[in-house]
Amino acid sequence: MRLTAAETEAFGTELDALRNEIRADLGERDAAHIRRVVRIARGSAIAGRSLLMFGIDPITWTFGVGALATAKILENMEIGHNVMHGQYDWMNDPTLDSQTYEWDNVCDSGHWRRYHNYEHHTYTNILGRDRDVGYGLMRISREQYWHPKHLVQPISNVILATLFQWGVGLHGLDPTRAFKSKIGRARMRKESGAFLRKAGRQLAKDYMLFPALALGNAPRVLLGNLAANVIRNVWTNVIIFCGHFPEGARVYTREETRNESRGDWYLRQLQGSANIEGSSLFHVLTGHLSHQIEHHLFPDLPAHRYAEIAPRVQAICAKYGLPYNTGSFWEQYGSVLKKLFVYALPDRAAEPHGAAPLPA
Amino acid sequence: MQTQSTLWTTPWLRPFNDVVAIDDLLTQVHATWSLARIKARVLAVVDETADTKTFVLRPNRNWPGFRAGQHVGVEIEIDGVRHQRRYSLSSAPSARRVIAITVKRQPGGKVSSWLHDRVHAGDVVGLGPPAGTFTLPTPRPERLLMVSAGSGITPLMAMLRDLAASPALDVVFVHVARRPDDAIFAAELTRLAASRPGLTVHHHHSAERGRFDAATLAALVPDHAERTAFLCGPAGFMTTIRTHFATRGLADRLHEESFGAPSGATPGADAGTLEVRCARSERLFDAAADVPLLVAAEQAGLRPRYGCRMGICHTCSCVKRTGTVENVLTGEISSEPGERIQLCISRPRTELTLEL
Repeated sequence: MRLTAAETEAFGTELDALRNEIRADLGERDAAHIRRVVRIARGSAIAGRSLLMFGIDPITWTFGVGALATAKILENMEIGHNVMHGQYDWMNDPTLDSQTYEWDNVCDSGHWRRYHNYEHHTYTNILGRDRDVGYGLMRISREQYWHPKHLVQPISNVILATLFQWGVGLHGLDPTRAFKSKIGRARMRKESGAFLRKAGRQLAKDYMLFPALALGNAPRVLLGNLAANVIRNVWTNVIIFCGHFPEGARVYTREETRNESRGDWYLRQLQGSANIEGSSLFHVLTGHLSHQIEHHLFPDLPAHRYAEIAPRVQAICAKYGLPYNTGSFWEQYGSVLKKLFVYALPDRAAEPHGAAPLPA
Repeated sequence: MQTQSTLWTTPWLRPFNDVVAIDDLLTQVHATWSLARIKARVLAVVDETADTKTFVLRPNRNWPGFRAGQHVGVEIEIDGVRHQRRYSLSSAPSARRVIAITVKRQPGGKVSSWLHDRVHAGDVVGLGPPAGTFTLPTPRPERLLMVSAGSGITPLMAMLRDLAASPALDVVFVHVARRPDDAIFAAELTRLAASRPGLTVHHHHSAERGRFDAATLAALVPDHAERTAFLCGPAGFMTTIRTHFATRGLADRLHEESFGAPSGATPGADAGTLEVRCARSERLFDAAADVPLLVAAEQAGLRPRYGCRMGICHTCSCVKRTGTVENVLTGEISSEPGERIQLCISRPRTELTLEL
């Protein structure tokens, strides 16, 4: 599927027009949405932590963990991630300011803004520039070079999912580059202070401050906080993996993306991303990353708008004969898991880059 | 800006010291309750003239008090967007629990129109801390002259109300308005002048008696050169009086406050270069009107943070204190003070002040 330069430009112009239309329509409704989610997340956190602290039975423990995990998921995904993208900067509300917001996980928000908002969203799916392609641990496309570490990626995936916030936090230090180069090590040293401070505070909060306040209930609270963090970790990992890794999502080489126009950039965002279908509750719990395509086309539009503009994006794609990658959660995550197994092994010499199989 | 860490700010006590969350909760209970923010209940809205209203407010306990002549930031939210404007306080500071601002409706003014049309007794507005150096010096000068025009009367009215109780009052108060109907506080001025022997009030109505200038001042107040003068009004009026004082070598006797639209000049696309003031680094540079601000800043030797340089990542986003910019991608205009702009996709339309 190739568009001419003129078609690409027209495609970009249509998306620009859609963006401007939504941007001009932002107002009370969007402000009310984000404030409502902020309150629900806070309420959920208070409820969860209270149940863990004051309950004694396993049922309240389970509900406490669920409420706290929900709070962390909402705060990280629908609030933190989206606010830091600048989706609500137009409100001039200092508590929802993209450049000063700090979220509830071990990743320093300054690091996040740099490698997610800038690197990942600008160089999306470009091999060697977007470190989110496989996170330096996984091989999720044929175009990536195989390395023996990829043999264990079905297992490292489970470990990464469980500890995902630590993966995200360390990702900011670019550990792969630190292993390889002096510059990488220097940068890691420079940035590690911010990471350690943030991680220390998060650990102190969930594993010292709250357990200590619970007195005799400390082990219950500590375990509950651990469980909530793990649930949040696994959930975010699974949703994020569905964003760019399902079958059909393309990766790019640096050469292909030289001298990209704005239309080309839109095309790459579209073809490198995949959506998950679901209910509106599901969408909020994913921070609307279930509309990864719309998010990548318009990273700074309030995310709760993605669902309503998705049909229009889909129509524009259809008009230009472009694929629009969407599917149920199990379809998308299933295809990610399949890739994790398939690309764990080196390519058979017989199949360089998806060419037709050789005769036997 | 490193502020000292306190129990309220240390991140180690999160979420127990999350002032924002606690304030939000308090606000649900009572609209003016807050740990940190100044909020005020509107007690009354008084019509002063056809286009000017006084809002009598009862601030919460976070209000630190003020000095006559100072102004206060009024914060309101219109369609999800927070706006702030500064208005002079017109009440006497001695009434600590009740304050007043007097607001003239600006043509096309978003906030002043909202205040006039939508704010009623019983509503709650957010306030910033009072600020401003246009205040009476201590010790108080014995003989005073106050010259105001239009809504420039508000800070001077606060001063006059503050002084009115003092026994050794010697004030000449000149107020310029277009017509008698436009004169704010006219009735109260007349009443005060009648009951306070030390106060002389002159009204000048320019629709009848022509432009107020130095000669008019000299005729109305022959001893004005011997008084400490306070001046507030529109730019042209201020310039006239300021020049008069300066040429007579009296500049140090004149205290002044300007108000209204800052650097109102809005040149079109052929503006050439515009001055950009960086409030944090205290630098000044000239930006071409057709070049993104990020590039202009770099050409001037500044090194603002940046990322994608194409409007995606918001790394270069920066608060614009004053002025107007245009978004080169969308053509959107931002003229609201305090709005965040992306330097890489914004070009200046007027002179700017940035938090850079």
